[in-house]
Amino acid sequence: MIRSTGRKRLLAVTSLVAGVTLLAAGCGGGDDEGSGDGTKSPAAAEGTDTDRTLIVWAGAEPPITANFNPFSPTLLAGTNGVIYETLFYYNKTSAEAPRPMLGESFEWNEDGTELTIKLREGVKWNDGEDFTADDVVFSLTNKFTTRAYITGAEAVDPLTVKVSFDGPEFTNEFSVLGTTLMVPEHVWAEKEADVEAALTWTNEDAPVGTGPYTVGETSADSYTFEANPDYWGGKPKVAQARYIGVAGNQSAQDMLTTGQIDWTGMFIPDPDSIVSSSGDAVGYVNTPQDPTAIYTCANVDLGCEGPQTDVAVRQALNVAIDRTEINNKAFVDLAAPVSPTFALLGRDDKWIADGMPKESPQTANAEEAMKILEDAGYTKGADGIYEKDGQKVEMTLTSPATWTDYNSTNKLVAAQALKAGIKIDVTEPTQQEWGDARFSGNFQLTLGGIVGTSVPDPFQIYKDWFTTDATIKVGETLEPGDWNFTRYSNPAVDEAVNAAAATNDEAAKKDAYAKVQAEITEDLPYIPVVVNATETFWNAKDYTGWPTEDNLYAFPPAWGAGASGLILSQLGGTE
Amino acid sequence: MKYYTRRIVFYVLTLWVAISLNFLLPRLSPGDPAQIMIDKMSRGGEVTPEQIATIQRLFGGDSDQSLWDAYVQYLNQVIHWDLGTSVTKFPAPVTELISQALPWTIGLVGLATVISFLVGVGAGAIIGWRRGTWVDHIVPSTTLIQSLPYFWLALLLIYLLAVQNPVFPVGNGYDIREFGGPEWSWAFVGDVIYHGTLPALTIVISSVGGWLLGMRNMMVSTMSEDYIVTAEAKGLRKSRILMTYATRNAALPSISGFGITLAFVVAGSIVMEQVFSYPGLGKLMITAVRGNDYALMQGLFLVITLTVLAANFIMDIVYGFIDPRTRSNA
Repeated sequence: MIRSTGRKRLLAVTSLVAGVTLLAAGCGGGDDEGSGDGTKSPAAAEGTDTDRTLIVWAGAEPPITANFNPFSPTLLAGTNGVIYETLFYYNKTSAEAPRPMLGESFEWNEDGTELTIKLREGVKWNDGEDFTADDVVFSLTNKFTTRAYITGAEAVDPLTVKVSFDGPEFTNEFSVLGTTLMVPEHVWAEKEADVEAALTWTNEDAPVGTGPYTVGETSADSYTFEANPDYWGGKPKVAQARYIGVAGNQSAQDMLTTGQIDWTGMFIPDPDSIVSSSGDAVGYVNTPQDPTAIYTCANVDLGCEGPQTDVAVRQALNVAIDRTEINNKAFVDLAAPVSPTFALLGRDDKWIADGMPKESPQTANAEEAMKILEDAGYTKGADGIYEKDGQKVEMTLTSPATWTDYNSTNKLVAAQALKAGIKIDVTEPTQQEWGDARFSGNFQLTLGGIVGTSVPDPFQIYKDWFTTDATIKVGETLEPGDWNFTRYSNPAVDEAVNAAAATNDEAAKKDAYAKVQAEITEDLPYIPVVVNATETFWNAKDYTGWPTEDNLYAFPPAWGAGASGLILSQLGGTE
Repeated sequence: MKYYTRRIVFYVLTLWVAISLNFLLPRLSPGDPAQIMIDKMSRGGEVTPEQIATIQRLFGGDSDQSLWDAYVQYLNQVIHWDLGTSVTKFPAPVTELISQALPWTIGLVGLATVISFLVGVGAGAIIGWRRGTWVDHIVPSTTLIQSLPYFWLALLLIYLLAVQNPVFPVGNGYDIREFGGPEWSWAFVGDVIYHGTLPALTIVISSVGGWLLGMRNMMVSTMSEDYIVTAEAKGLRKSRILMTYATRNAALPSISGFGITLAFVVAGSIVMEQVFSYPGLGKLMITAVRGNDYALMQGLFLVITLTVLAANFIMDIVYGFIDPRTRSNA
């Protein structure tokens, strides 16, 4: 109920924003283009030119270390997207085709070993030099990052690049086109001599990129972006955007309610009251992306121990938990239902095979859980807990002590499971201990996140979280880039994932995904719980052009890599 | 002179022990900076394999250095004021982070402590002087305020004076919306004072009670001393007895306490800086601890240790002058 009223209020806000937009366009004397256009082509921003400095909080805590090095792990928010851009922008909130940025179009060859990219014409670096195919080649093959799967890249002509791979690499399309930041060869080529030094370089004096803004003043408390007058998409209408450092969510929330922050993405338990108490000056949208799941150490062969290694226990737990109650009490009804296939509901619906349940069970069914256990040969002991061969169905469930939403979830899970005769002991280790245990597989059950995919396709989750290649024996730490914490290993899944990787044909991929989904919804190495909320707040009074529920042209939160530049270039003032 | 030599030797020894402990402690605690950073980043969104490779390259340091070699290297670095590189604020050097934060903390917490001391001791002296009259009722009310948890008081004042009635700003050292960074202008200085008022006020309110109570009680016991009676019998002016005879003697313990308090000013008021997002050392310490940033923690502890030692040293010397008894007995 609460959720639906939230929606209504939200609609009211968005329509108000739209109203303001119309009004602004009317004042400016221009024709009303309609906000729908913004999604496809890089149409000019809405609204009017404004000198009012846009204040952004992208999660940085002071002191801020100026670092605009696109290869650094600690680069500041905005480096990716506002200063440096990718060839295409993949909007992870929708199933639409990638949006052309520095690239114009791309084409795969039949077997997925070659990718031909056409570039946008007339793009210049902010130091005046032309952006050419050579820069793209350099960006893809430099020594600062290693992309082992790229065997070569060549500039066919100044506006065409051909990238070749060691095998079918359809699945790395996003990595090449959507995450590789384009850097100028004339600045970075000479730095290849000393890679270590290049990686620790802070690049704070006028970094050379193609993005809509350039770097202005920087200090320990903030850094300021100035509109790039020669931006290929047209000079941004908001002249200045200042990214500030704020000490934590509480201060940021205070600043948001007093109108001191114009754009942020953070968790606030009662977003509706923020919107209504501001008199609709604050805009809000919730775009759930990343699933939360109970990881189970599932594989005896790799060294897992405990009742959860029996698939019946995992299946029983899956139906014993009450996801509605968990969402209500632990996530204040802001999370979204999760699909047992880990496809993002709404966006990835077409990938969910026929016959798969759309959502994980939203209410508890203790009878069914008990039946699953009894069918598997468990009997209820005198204390009401099931047991088999003298082993009680008793497991520990962990979450880091500081993650309060996860801790409450675990307590609810324990209470709900107890009704089905499953005993769960909840513990809350420090984040450090929890992280170590997670990577080395030393847990029975633990609540954790699963990183949602950035493209409308669950493939990356299947590959990185479910395959044998992405895991290792219990006691050893997972390799970088592997996320199969559960030690799950199933030849059928491995084979289907490999089949899906080798094709770009939708039907063939669907077939492969159907096989994966049939296995993982039965085996449940990860027991899905909810999809976490991703909340974004903005100043709807002074600025227009935000990604709203009706027009989600980009992933809205201010910390979103890549999207921030696109959103800033689409904003305008309302006066 | 023997007194001072002994003190100096004592402080040099203490300093060496402190530095050595500072070196050892982080090495006894678990944590791999590369893993910590990957963990942190993966909560915020996807971490690409390329990023992970870079992190491993930068932080997956060689750990086959022996403890002794590391210790010698550490001592050498400390002498050259090189405290390493921060992990959470990579690639900023620790010394740079500390020198950025230090002026804010000293300016605000230092000033607030001085004000609190002067007001507390001054008021305590007068209340002690006029003991038994209505002013005695001030004592319980100030101690009551002091017994309130500081963060609660601070949040209450923020709620009343910054959110409900926006007289003061919610936080920060200056208006980070207005200024891109610190600058030398009257507008900026005014802004810093404006932003510092509320946090300073909370510190003064919450700490003045302690000074006041201590001073008042010392005053009362000093008033019963024979030399006060003598002074009164000689017919000296009341104000002269208050200032020169009673207050000067009664303030001695407060002054030594003040020295210690001043030393801890450098540690910042951790809660205050957190609540007001004030860019000082306390805030920096929270950042370091939360991010398992051992280099930064070490650097901060070292600076705090040094100031506490220095302040103690100065107080020792000053006390030697003020009170000859400490010199002969020591």
